[in-house]
Amino acid sequence: MAEIRIKNLHKEFGVGADKVVALEDVNLEITGHSFVSIVGPSGCGKSTLLNILTGIETPTNGTVEITSDGHVAAPGYVFQAARLLPWRTVTDNLMFVQDDRSDDTKERCQRYLEMVQLGDKGDKFPGELSGGMQQRVGIARAFSIEPDVLFMDEPFSHLDAITARALRRELHHMWDETKKMVVFVTHDVGEAVELSNRILVFAKGGRLEDDIQIDLPFPRDPADDEVAVAKAHVLRKFEELDLLAS
Amino acid sequence: MTTTDTDTTAETPLAPRVTEEELARQARRKELTSRWFWRILSYVAVLAVWEFALLDIFGFLRGTPLDPKLLPGPSEVVATFFEIWGEGTMPAAFQATLTRIAIGFGLSFLIGAMIGILMQSKWFEGFFKDAVLISLSAPGLIWVLITAIIFGNRPLGPTIAIILTTFALVTVNVSEGIRALPKDLIDMAKSFQVSVFKRNRQIVIPHLAPYLFTGLRFGFSIAWKVTVLTEVFSSSEGIGFEMRISAVLFDMSEFLTWILAFFFFALFLEKVVLEAIERRYFRWRQAVTAT
Ligand SMILES: Nc1ncnc2c1ncn2[C@@H]1O[C@H](COP(=O)(O)OP(=O)(O)OP(=O)(O)O)[C@@H](O)[C@H]1O
Ligand SMILES: [Mg+2]
Repeated sequence: MAEIRIKNLHKEFGVGADKVVALEDVNLEITGHSFVSIVGPSGCGKSTLLNILTGIETPTNGTVEITSDGHVAAPGYVFQAARLLPWRTVTDNLMFVQDDRSDDTKERCQRYLEMVQLGDKGDKFPGELSGGMQQRVGIARAFSIEPDVLFMDEPFSHLDAITARALRRELHHMWDETKKMVVFVTHDVGEAVELSNRILVFAKGGRLEDDIQIDLPFPRDPADDEVAVAKAHVLRKFEELDLLAS
Repeated sequence: MTTTDTDTTAETPLAPRVTEEELARQARRKELTSRWFWRILSYVAVLAVWEFALLDIFGFLRGTPLDPKLLPGPSEVVATFFEIWGEGTMPAAFQATLTRIAIGFGLSFLIGAMIGILMQSKWFEGFFKDAVLISLSAPGLIWVLITAIIFGNRPLGPTIAIILTTFALVTVNVSEGIRALPKDLIDMAKSFQVSVFKRNRQIVIPHLAPYLFTGLRFGFSIAWKVTVLTEVFSSSEGIGFEMRISAVLFDMSEFLTWILAFFFFALFLEKVVLEAIERRYFRWRQAVTAT
């Protein structure tokens, strides 16, 4: 079981007049088989939080810990943009993040490519794929290492509605089956309510404003009353915060 | 909509169906053919003018026919080419010249790349900036003359001339490449806990390769000319030396033969060797530009 522990996390960029506070005094614990969505207006530090949790950025103050059964957890990261190596084929992009080149590993990569409907595109270069296809390769890459925690930064926002829906279902299926943890950033409150059992609402200035549990059974139908109520609740919260910020 | 419009749409199913890909291929082939046609035509035109017309026009303008000794025609030059080739001096001369280039430009490439890396620090940038600028803008002939005067026909002369004329091209490209390092990809690799070694091998080096290649290509084309020049001024072997000898002996046919050999060899390197390398290692770039 994975655990994330964040204590007094503070992150600033720049100095003097250029100083930007991206995250302010965030305290948070996420444990076990959670699907946590992070929502909030643009620039409220969502990507920064994921970057700190995955070791790309270091905190200005405070500590973060990600463990899985006592050892350091392996994170998988789906970025806002695909971030593929343009000089490697799709398959080699997946192999790039693997620890070994065994046949098992290759087969696993192929399996996840098939999951995102790109099983026949392994030999293509990223430049030969559409933007949405590239994003799906990025998703397959994160899945292919079968991470303890999967971080996703608006992974479906550039995809067409039908593909996004299929992948959402696939993601949820995988989450259910593997009992792994997913931390999911989104602008889309409906998406958050549909997928997660916990929603963290961030406000401008990087403050964690609200922590909402949603204990409805999966799969959730947006047309369902209880789901609609939960969505309305989060939306109201979201709007209040946006008003406060401006 | 007019009746003629409906007529044409009714006709289209009868026309042979050509896929878009096939059309694109045809267009490319046509474009390639006409480009080659014009290219070859330029050679034919130059040779024709050289062989038949030039002598008479010069003769006409000067009132006396031009001595064929001053400007032998292409057929004579080609004959001389095979004559010299038969004597076996050509491979030796090329070998001497190419060895010089390999040593000089090899060193220059290393030095240039090193300075490019150092220039990422702002102190070293200040230190090297003007030197790079001077090397880029000063005519190569200056260094050739200076090194010829200082070193005579010792091998250090051409080496230094090559380094001074070409290192900056490598420096500029390397330094530009480093500045454009893809931070987003490096961050991605970090988050997936990819080792530093693998990161360098699969991100940093492939990213820098086109920059290094550009430096190599431009640097080489200059190194090549500078080397031949140094041989013209001060050397006892190589292509430039052979040119000087033919010029001194007033053997224009031989002189032109060396120029021609030089030209074809340069063309071969540029069109065959370098382009093959480019096709082999930069296939992904064609994929990028194709979309
Ligand atoms: N590397 C950086 N250097 C300077 N400032 C940064 C950097 N990264 C983020 N910031 C700033 O930190 C703040 C939070 O950025 P972040 O990218 O985390 O926002 P976000 O919530 O992900 O926004 P969006 O929803 O638009 O993606 C912003 O004001 C941004 O300008
Ligand atoms: Mg973001």
